[in-house]
Amino acid sequence: MIRTLVYGLSLLVLPALSQAAGTGRIFVTNEGSDTISVINGKTLEVEQALAIGKRPRGIGLSPDGRELYIAASEDNAIVVVDPGTLKVLRTFPAGSDPETFAVHPNGHIYISNEDDAKATVFDPADGRQIAEIPVGLEPEGVAISPDGSRVIVTSESTNMLHVIRVPEHDIVANILVGARPRAAVFTRDGTIAYATSEISGEVKKVDMRANKVVAVEKIADEKAKPKDVILSVDEKTLYVAAGRADAVMVLDAATLKIKAAIPVGKRVWGLARSRDGSRIYSTDGASNSVSAIDTARNEVIKTIAVGELPWGIVIDD
Amino acid sequence: MPEKLKTGLAVLILFAALQNTGFGATEIRLLYIGSPDDASYLGARQGLNEANLQGQFLGQTYILDVRAPGAVPPAEALSGMAAVLATVNADRLPELAATAAGIPVFNLRADDDSLRAACIANLLHVIPSAAMRWDAVAQWQKINPGAQVTASAWHGDFMKYAGRDLNKRYRATSGQAMDEAAWAGWAAVKMTSDTVARLNDTRPAAVLTFLRHELRFDGQKGAEMSFRASGQLRQPLLIIKEGKIAGEAPVRGVADADDLDSLGNSDCPESK
Repeated sequence: MIRTLVYGLSLLVLPALSQAAGTGRIFVTNEGSDTISVINGKTLEVEQALAIGKRPRGIGLSPDGRELYIAASEDNAIVVVDPGTLKVLRTFPAGSDPETFAVHPNGHIYISNEDDAKATVFDPADGRQIAEIPVGLEPEGVAISPDGSRVIVTSESTNMLHVIRVPEHDIVANILVGARPRAAVFTRDGTIAYATSEISGEVKKVDMRANKVVAVEKIADEKAKPKDVILSVDEKTLYVAAGRADAVMVLDAATLKIKAAIPVGKRVWGLARSRDGSRIYSTDGASNSVSAIDTARNEVIKTIAVGELPWGIVIDD
Repeated sequence: MPEKLKTGLAVLILFAALQNTGFGATEIRLLYIGSPDDASYLGARQGLNEANLQGQFLGQTYILDVRAPGAVPPAEALSGMAAVLATVNADRLPELAATAAGIPVFNLRADDDSLRAACIANLLHVIPSAAMRWDAVAQWQKINPGAQVTASAWHGDFMKYAGRDLNKRYRATSGQAMDEAAWAGWAAVKMTSDTVARLNDTRPAAVLTFLRHELRFDGQKGAEMSFRASGQLRQPLLIIKEGKIAGEAPVRGVADADDLDSLGNSDCPESK
């Protein structure tokens, strides 16, 4: 009874808190049109398109949600934007061709520098480079364990997950995976990571205590070129952007078996989940759109036209 | 024997054993047969750089020896090689493959269909066959009648998938645009290092078996590549018109983009 009451209260209170914390906006980088689409999270209408730099790709929020970071790959820079006023706060150089990055719980940004075979670490407060870690060729995906002790950088042309220790910033394991590893995600307790391989069409489950692959699933659809991967709130479900299969695959996180395929736009790349887990959004690169998916029904509820070649996506909720 | 001496001896033996098994890097030797002035050699050097970049994480070092084309080298010259890369004329390849029995030999130049039809167990054709080019052009002409085009494994302007990355790397190290020959040289080394990394075994017979039956290669053309029973690498081709990229084969609308066997497939009897 009391538990029900507390649960009910928390339902009332939590949305209010999260609204207070974020703008509710969805931000999308459009690599082809050099813009950021700003989407109203309630109406799912595009509010405006920001032009802040060339070839915007990676995008992320600071731990406190007060700053939005965007990798302007062709400007070799990270652009810092206020998610509320949408003003550019500052810009700092971030190595050659910064592509994807992840924000550490301590606020530092871990970037894959695709052309340089390295990962770099920056403090976005002053743009200072904190570390540089040589990794394999064409580093791509970056994932950080929730406790901040481990960072995974995928190298697409060396076919490895490089496991980097923080704060030492040395590599503690190199895990060979299928061809062209793209993205990875940690569970909340940091013991498991899931990773996608684009060319081999695989999703892998990795035991991060042993640094060993413990399960592999090849997605049966041969057009599937798995890219981004995210977990549901309860961590029982994986969502995988399946590239040319033009679908978001829904996988059982325990067995890696496919439970559903949600048709979205063409060549789906990026994924983001709302904090409460009720929605996921995909960037459909070749359709110039974002698909809003209701996770209860596994259905697209709205297709939102954005800029050209939408790439990264983040929700400020 | 006094206990102290025994222990000392054991330590010595252990030390010697460790030296032999090598706690240092494993060396993988590759032999390039052809002119070092060929683009295929520069491509192979690029592949070598990348193999060694991967190797530093795995304790593997790759070495590329060069031998001039001409007479087929004696078998002794091939021993200890994990693979051979050959930029030689078609008529020399069967003899080279026979001399290198059990060692993978990558054909980087000859597109003769007869070499594929010969079904030679250790001869792996990275360069597309004439039949593959023919089919790619025919597919293109179905929707572009009268178009005068050619088909190639690679082009220095290729940007899609990760073509941009490989072209950029190659141009930075070699100072020139990557062409088909250079791509073939790069791919041969890269697929060997992929194999050695996954097998953790450098014996040529094991490498050959993996290459022929298990390899799933990312040739930076967006498709998963593997070898046909004929030894030919399945791969997408680029359609070239007046020196520029006009399209990709399999040509969409004519064949399924993933149906790499719609390009010049040929069979080999099971017994071979």
